[in-house]
Amino acid sequence: MFCPMICSEIHTGMGSSKNYPISLPPRVNPSMLSLILDYCRFHQVPGRSNKERKSFDEKFIRMDTKRLCELTSAADSLQLKPLVDLTSRALARMIEGKTPEEIRETFHLPDDLTEEEKLEPLKNTTDDPRIRLLNRLYARKRKELKERERLKNVDVEEEEHVDDRSVDDLLSFINGGNGDSKGVRTSKNKKKNRRRKDQLKNASSSCAVSSNNTSASNNVEIHKEESNGLDSMHQNVTIHDHVLHNMVETLKLQDVEDDSFAPEDEFDEGDIDDEIDPAMQEKIDREVEDFARRLNSDWPERMQEILSLGKGRRYSRLDHDGEDI
Amino acid sequence: MDNVLGRDFISDLPQSIIETILTKLPIRDAVRTSILSSKWRYKWATLTQVEFDDRCVTLSNDKVLVENNLVKFITQFLFLHNGPVHKFMLTTAYLQSSPEIDQWLLFLSRKDIRELVLELGEQEWFRAPSCLFSCRKLTRLELVRCELDPPLTFKGFLCLKYLSLQQVLIAPDAIESLISSCPLLESLTLSYFDSLALTIHAPNLKYLCLEGEFKDICLENTTLLVAISVAMYMTDDIAEHFEQSSSCNFDKFLGGVPCLERLIGHIYFTKYLSIGNDLGKLPITYCHLKIVELYQVSFEDMKEILVVLRLIVNSPNLQELHISVSNNNGSSNTTAAAEAPDLDFWEKECPSGCMFKQLKTVKMTDMFGIPHEMDFIKFLLGNSPVLEIMSVAPSVYVTEGRLNMLIELARFRRASAKAEIIFIQD
Repeated sequence: MFCPMICSEIHTGMGSSKNYPISLPPRVNPSMLSLILDYCRFHQVPGRSNKERKSFDEKFIRMDTKRLCELTSAADSLQLKPLVDLTSRALARMIEGKTPEEIRETFHLPDDLTEEEKLEPLKNTTDDPRIRLLNRLYARKRKELKERERLKNVDVEEEEHVDDRSVDDLLSFINGGNGDSKGVRTSKNKKKNRRRKDQLKNASSSCAVSSNNTSASNNVEIHKEESNGLDSMHQNVTIHDHVLHNMVETLKLQDVEDDSFAPEDEFDEGDIDDEIDPAMQEKIDREVEDFARRLNSDWPERMQEILSLGKGRRYSRLDHDGEDI
Repeated sequence: MDNVLGRDFISDLPQSIIETILTKLPIRDAVRTSILSSKWRYKWATLTQVEFDDRCVTLSNDKVLVENNLVKFITQFLFLHNGPVHKFMLTTAYLQSSPEIDQWLLFLSRKDIRELVLELGEQEWFRAPSCLFSCRKLTRLELVRCELDPPLTFKGFLCLKYLSLQQVLIAPDAIESLISSCPLLESLTLSYFDSLALTIHAPNLKYLCLEGEFKDICLENTTLLVAISVAMYMTDDIAEHFEQSSSCNFDKFLGGVPCLERLIGHIYFTKYLSIGNDLGKLPITYCHLKIVELYQVSFEDMKEILVVLRLIVNSPNLQELHISVSNNNGSSNTTAAAEAPDLDFWEKECPSGCMFKQLKTVKMTDMFGIPHEMDFIKFLLGNSPVLEIMSVAPSVYVTEGRLNMLIELARFRRASAKAEIIFIQD
């Protein structure tokens, strides 16, 4: 019959009178029970055609997601296998083919995986040098993110501190204009960027050493050389350096990903953008445009300079940082 | 970003329900749930039923790329999987014979695999590694397009209940011993074998499905068989073999199946059964036989008609009968006159007072209207007291004889007051 649990309870003599009620499992509440009774009452009538049963089922599962989950849970605790199958299929349909954001919204799931975990490769290294490079970059990224996390917490504390100051201080803060505020931020970013730059320098040097074969790694090399070369020319524009690195890395990561990372495509797409928060993003965009304009103005000469500079730097870097792999 | 605690209503459902839901998703979507939230990170990794097919990877025109991607996906999945794998299904047109498949099978043989379904591509047939034969707990094995070579030390799949081999290269004695060494075998399907002569020992066998070129089938010790479906293809040397055969095929095949409930025979099955000396008068009664479907029956061959008669006369509880007439009768209209002397065969062969007490539905299709066919219908109509439907459909090749057929049908006496004769005009 339909419901083994209730059947077995009846056999043990329960349910025959008010004094010996069949105690329902905790996951079954009254509204669920009435739904389940509706379901059973419909389906136990023998004369119905399959078509009728199917259309009843379709209509039956039209309810909001929360209730559907509760119903699944209740049906499972009552061991009503046909109903569990029906509701599970409905829930599966809600998951199939949707983006992670859509699924999180449907079920109100917390987006509590850290960026790091989302980026963490759910796979093992193979012999493909590009995959090795990618994993190395991921490792760097993870470190960066940890740094950023730490610094963010530090910053948050500092900023909160700032907000507690007197009105005068605030006024002077505001009246100091954009220069000051930017200055404040720049210094903080400079701190982060310097650290990041060092890591990336190491990364690029190790790339240069070990992965000579693939064009992808060569591209990364050149870009890094380029930006590091530029850096030497523009000592105070460390933000742009950092920005360019980020953009380049982002782009490169998306290039290097091919279909072989199919299971990861979905993991990474939305999330690479998420790492920079919106306010910062705008700022970065503005600065990138600015920088691009400057670049394009005298590009050919710059190119020569950079390449010649870069070559020299590369070899020297190898000597110093060779052991940082 | 949704960080409202307590509103998440799916993640805390019991793992068995989550598994049920994830199993109803294509496997790629199931793996993707790992980035939904921290609780979902590894819910997919304990799935015990996994099904891979070509939808797991993005398809493109580059076959090698698709094949490589599929291999990578499956390998990565298995490597990250945690816990037993009870069911593994792989259906692909791209992947053929690849060393990775051997590794997967080795991996699965250590994970208590119970159901294994492999349907691979068409080019180079996969040769099953010996680790396949060490999957002790297999209950279900389905293989399409591969080579099987059981090692000498192989003692059988002791838990196997369902075996299906389609287009599998295996030595004839190997397959016989494979079948007989699986004591719990309940369902056997063999498709597209070449010239197989087979003796089947399977004491627990209930469902048998054979399709291909079989030279000889002998059912020994299959007393629990409930349903049989056979499609016998004919090639020239099998036809020769048929001519030369001296043993009675009917007895060899249907001699030891007293519990039979359903019999379906396609293509040359009835002809196959008709071969043999003395269409043995072995007194077998098929008490449980309820449904008989025979296709491509040639009503010009007396022996085939005798086979049909013998079958239905010995099935007192027969409820449904479908007979489809063979196309080879197309040229029969001219020889119909020559058959006239045999027309009293019906009185001779049919025991008098033979009643089909449970027969309710009869369907005759692809009919040509030759005398033997009409007499058969007459015989059925006259001896089926509870008949409800007699459906007659002429063959598409019959263009002019339809009206005559209908006139004859209308004249036949009916033993059942409820009988309807339905003539299908398509």
